[in-house]
Amino acid sequence: MIQLSHVYKVYPTQIEALSDVSLEISDGEFTYIYGASSSGRTTLIRILYGAEKPTRGEVVVNGMNITAKGFNKIHLLRRSMGIVFQDFKLLKDRTVSENISFALEVTAYQKQEIRKKVSEVLEKVGLQQRERDPILALSAGEQQRVAIARALINDPPLLLADEPTENLDDQMTDDVMKIFSDLNQKGTTIVFATHNKELIQRYPHRVIYLSGGRRVDVKIDEVRAGE
Amino acid sequence: MKYFVWHVVRRAFLNIKGNLYPNLSTVGIIAISMLVFSSFTLIAINLSSFLKLWEEKIEIMAYLKRETPIQEVETLLNKIRLLEGVESVRYISPFDALAFMESKLGGQKDLLKGIQAWILPPSFEIELKKEYRNSTGIKGVVSQLKKFPQFEEIQFGQEWVDTFSALVHLLNLTQWILGGLLLLAMIFIISNTLQLTISARREEIEIMRIVGARPSFIHIPIYIEGLLQGLFGAGLAVLFLYLLQEIMLLHLPSPIQVWTAKVPIHFLPPEVILQILLGGMCLGLFGSFIASMKFLRFGE
Repeated sequence: MIQLSHVYKVYPTQIEALSDVSLEISDGEFTYIYGASSSGRTTLIRILYGAEKPTRGEVVVNGMNITAKGFNKIHLLRRSMGIVFQDFKLLKDRTVSENISFALEVTAYQKQEIRKKVSEVLEKVGLQQRERDPILALSAGEQQRVAIARALINDPPLLLADEPTENLDDQMTDDVMKIFSDLNQKGTTIVFATHNKELIQRYPHRVIYLSGGRRVDVKIDEVRAGE
Repeated sequence: MKYFVWHVVRRAFLNIKGNLYPNLSTVGIIAISMLVFSSFTLIAINLSSFLKLWEEKIEIMAYLKRETPIQEVETLLNKIRLLEGVESVRYISPFDALAFMESKLGGQKDLLKGIQAWILPPSFEIELKKEYRNSTGIKGVVSQLKKFPQFEEIQFGQEWVDTFSALVHLLNLTQWILGGLLLLAMIFIISNTLQLTISARREEIEIMRIVGARPSFIHIPIYIEGLLQGLFGAGLAVLFLYLLQEIMLLHLPSPIQVWTAKVPIHFLPPEVILQILLGGMCLGLFGSFIASMKFLRFGE
């Protein structure tokens, strides 16, 4: 499902964010992209949803070679996945359901279908009672659940998450991780970028460890805190 | 497709509503710039129509030498009638000329007291065919008339027409130079306002991208926004110009009112209004295109 071959990313400032990274993530896998600050994990996630172009190498996501010359279906790539961010990226002047339905409105869904899908997805994240609440009335954990609901609205086979639990306390983290685990058990591939070793140890899954933009072959228990 | 069109138009209106103040300022600035441009157009159109009217009245006055025997006049009249470009010829005797001057002076005809008709030269009033009432046509007829030795002097209003034509030409030139400068200013203003509104909606646009909105879903509402700004601005300019003209015509001093009664003052013809509106829309579209090029790169 996800294939990276010898991927390099050098920013115009000559900072090498990724260097010769190759990896493969199969359908239905739950994979952590683990690394400290400047390890390249966010760059890797951004490459996976087409926000960054690798300087070199090949990237195939959901059957689309996004590094192929002339590839211009970024919007289709993004519709084939859900993306969750550390800062939620919600529209603060709108309600819970408006935030979720926005994702469908801009991808040309009909009103009736939108209503049905929104209520289904809110049930999945346990927020059906908060449908009409304004976003700012929600706790951080609830806001992240709204963001997850938005990411799930198209039933994507792949979910990318960039530090989704970073701003959450332990209870909220547990709630969010439970949603991710449930989704994964139902077959959704999860790629989860984090620098939180304890989180990985608490919810163990496959780990791809990045350090200084390179993939390092080491077990998570061998990694020292902060590395 | 129907949904797509509905969606992008709705988004464009929502964007305008959400950023009302910058949008209104842009429309205002476009309106002022377009007003300046269309004012020049209006003046040029009226001067051109005045020039056309004037050209239609152009005739040649050929003054006969005093020693020309009266018997030659009839032959000369017939010869001139046959010249290319001549519609009609009328002989004006010194007495006719004096009577004409008296009629022109009206109440002040006493000024001509003591003037004898014989001091005025006899002349031919030559009316030209319609297609010859222009610079080249007149010059052609005059060169033929000059071949007749009986004429002392040939007068025609061509110098005035030429000067007036040059004035209209200059006005047209100023209109386009000024129009060009205003055009650049308008593109700059429109693109800057739209950059501001795009910037204010950065979060929303980012989310649209993340969830896989087609680039056209993001870009087209912005183009429509620019298009509407241009259309409203140009529409307001035409409306203001019309009101200005009406107000000016109502408050014209009476001597000018007498003059304007003879020379009708027109407003912009419908096809010019349409061109101004389309021009405004094109400018708006171009401005929004520049703004989107700066802020919204495809594939980001």
